[in-house]
This record gives sequence, C-alpha cells and structure tokens, in this order.
Amino acid sequence: MSRFAEPMARLIEELKKLPGIGGKSAQRLAFHILRSSDDDAEALASAVRDLKAQLRLCSICNNITDVDPCSYCTNPTRNHRLVCVVEEPTNIAAIEKTKHFNGVYHVLHGTISPLHGVGPEHLRISNLTRRVDAGEVDEVILATNPTIEGEATASYLADALKKLRVKVTRIATGVPAGSDIEYTDEVTMHKAIEGRREL
Amino acid sequence: MALKESEAIVLRTYPMREADLLVTLFTRLDGKVRGVARSAKKSRRRFGGALEPLTLVRAVYEDRERQELTRLDSCEVMDSPLTRQMTYPRLVALGHVAELLDEVLPDREANDALFRLTVSVLGALRGPEIWMPLTYFELWLTRLTGFLPDLSACVECGLDLEGEPAFYHALADGLMCVDHKRLASSRLSVDSRRWAVQMFRAPVAALSAEPWPKSVGEDLRKFLMQIVQRHLEKKLTTQPMLAKLD
Repeated sequence: MSRFAEPMARLIEELKKLPGIGGKSAQRLAFHILRSSDDDAEALASAVRDLKAQLRLCSICNNITDVDPCSYCTNPTRNHRLVCVVEEPTNIAAIEKTKHFNGVYHVLHGTISPLHGVGPEHLRISNLTRRVDAGEVDEVILATNPTIEGEATASYLADALKKLRVKVTRIATGVPAGSDIEYTDEVTMHKAIEGRREL
Repeated sequence: MALKESEAIVLRTYPMREADLLVTLFTRLDGKVRGVARSAKKSRRRFGGALEPLTLVRAVYEDRERQELTRLDSCEVMDSPLTRQMTYPRLVALGHVAELLDEVLPDREANDALFRLTVSVLGALRGPEIWMPLTYFELWLTRLTGFLPDLSACVECGLDLEGEPAFYHALADGLMCVDHKRLASSRLSVDSRRWAVQMFRAPVAALSAEPWPKSVGEDLRKFLMQIVQRHLEKKLTTQPMLAKLD
C-alpha cells in the first residue's frame, strides 16, 4: 500500500520522471504544490497543458514556437540572408546571448549518428536546402557541436549546400575565453592551432 | 582499490544520471570495460574531447569491489579522430568499427591482437579511403574472434576452391562449391578471396596505396558481416548505413 493518498502518489510518480528529480525531490515538490494556493496550482497545470497543446515547429526554421512562422523568421530587423544551422532549439539561446548574431536560424533536431541508426534522412534538412535553392540565402553558418557527429553533420551539409552555390562557413573551435592554455585538452589545442588567424 | 592505467579505445558513451557518462572502453589491459565518468556530461573540463568514440586514450580507472562499473579517473588523448576532417563516410566507417567491437568483445577479456588491429585500422581510416581499411578490419576481426571459416575449401565436401567459384549462404557455416551451393546462395569472387589472402599476409598500411572503390571486395564484406550477424544473432545498426554510401 502507498504511503500517500492516491493523487499525491500519482503526482510524485510523475515528477520523478523529470530529469534530475529523485524520489525525495519529487515528494518535496508535490507537498509544495499541495500547500500552494489553488490559483498557483492551476497556473502550473495549465502551463504544462499549454506547453504541449500550443507549441509546434516553425515551418521555416524548425525552431519550437507558439506562432508559425516563429519570431526570428518574422522579425524584419534580422538578416534573413544569413542562416545559422544548429543541432537543437536550445542552442539558439546560447547564440542569442552573444547579441552578436543578427541572422536567422535553422534547427536540425539532431546530428547524424550511425551508432544510433540516425542518418541524414532523419534530420530536418530538406527545408534548409529549399530555402537556399530558392536563392533566399547568401551565407549558411554551420554551428553544430565540435563532436565527431557534429563535425560529420557539418561536413555532410557543406557538401550538399555547396552544390547550391551558397557561401558555407563553420564556427571556429578553440581555447575558451578566460581559460588557461595549460589546462586545455589536446584536441581543442590542436584545433586552436589549426584555426589560428593572422593579427 | 589501486588505480589502473591502460591504453584504451573509447567505443561508446551513454548519458547516465544528470551529469555523468557511462563509457565503454576497449582497454589493452582488461579488454572491454564499462566505467562511469563523473560530471563528464555537464562539464568538458575534466575529459575534454577524450570521450569521443574511437579516440585512443591513456585511461586511468579504478575497479570497485563488488561493482561491475569502474570509476574513470582520467583520459589523456593519444590520437583523436577529430584531428582529421570528419566526413560522413568516415563517421559511418568509425561507427561501424565501434559497433563491431562493442558487440563482439566479451567483458573483461584482454585481446592484444585485436587491440593492435584496431589501432592500425583507425590509423588507416584517417584518410578519405574507407573501404579497404573496413574490409581489412572485418576480415581480421572474424578471424581473431574465431568466426571465420576456411576460405580455401568447400564446407560440405572439402573440395579445394582455389580458382573455383565459391558460394556462401546466410545459414551455411562456410563456403560451398558449385555442386553443394544452397538455393539463394551468393557468390564470393576469386578476386575477393585473393584480396583476403593478401590481407592475411600484409599490414593494413602496406595496402593503403591501392585505390579501393566500394565495389572492390563488396561480396567479401557482405560474407563477413553475414557471419558476424549470424553469431551475434542480431543485425548491426551501422550495416544499412554503410550499404547506402557511394
């Protein structure tokens, strides 16, 4: 028999499915929700419901959005001829934080991964090539992660996009700002020296 | 328990808990070992790019009493596939090598010959050519694991197949002569069998100069993978992706 009333046990079980939430944390969160006001509990429940009901993928860039096309794709102040390709929607936030990129995005939703049976046909590439093929793009920046899967995905996209006569660039790899060369790993240092630039 | 140090090849990583990675290593000292790299998922500071698949590392790990998983202390990169351009065909080829090793190797059983084979094949896979190193790896892997049947005689009647047509079948234990071939058998060409003999005599580096389009040795690779998949009793994930490459 459960130690808690059925609705409480059910909420704890559901919360335990969230990343980083164990049994004790789930129990604490469930009791917090129980103690909160009806309005707060309802607001949480409706936020979860709306998240699933209202969010979808942007038909242009595949970003997660509540309006289609997304706010980046409809923003007239952004440079729509400069497209940055990222693996996941969460990568957009990291680039936006720099306040240095004014182009638009394209989200692949993954990388090529032979060990997981993920080939190029499983990624969202077709609407990118359609955009480029329609002459809407001057430059594509490939901002996939510098892992072997990210690098191979970038190489695959570069080959496919160059056939469409568009400028294709890759983000630089190197020593993180504010770090110490002494503690930089061998692969990063190799890439940093390989990608050095003249001053 | 004492820390162990060994050359190792990273085969795979899986996310584990919030911040850790479960790493499968092919170590020279202990064979296939699974270990936990603490905080490796959240922070790259400690392991950097050392846990990318098919990276040759000097691994320091600690076996824990009554625990199957070791604790991975550190990994120093000796050779990384990321130091050369990573193309899609090269990624599929490296993935195939990693999958084969992960599936075929038993846990905690050192295999120095297979380790040396893998290191030399990874060296050959640095360039754009993938089909020769892959054929070499598959051939030697099946031989070193004891799966490879005799390529010179019919498994049914013992007829010498030198210069004769030879056939293989998914349910047969070896090559068959024209009289004993089964329905829907595939042919293994004389040229491919000659390549196999040459590969048993020469190191992979000595064969690298030859141009190897996909069509060369294709029947041999199909034969070898049929043997491996039959022993594993499962299909390899990377096999259909390799078949689709040009």
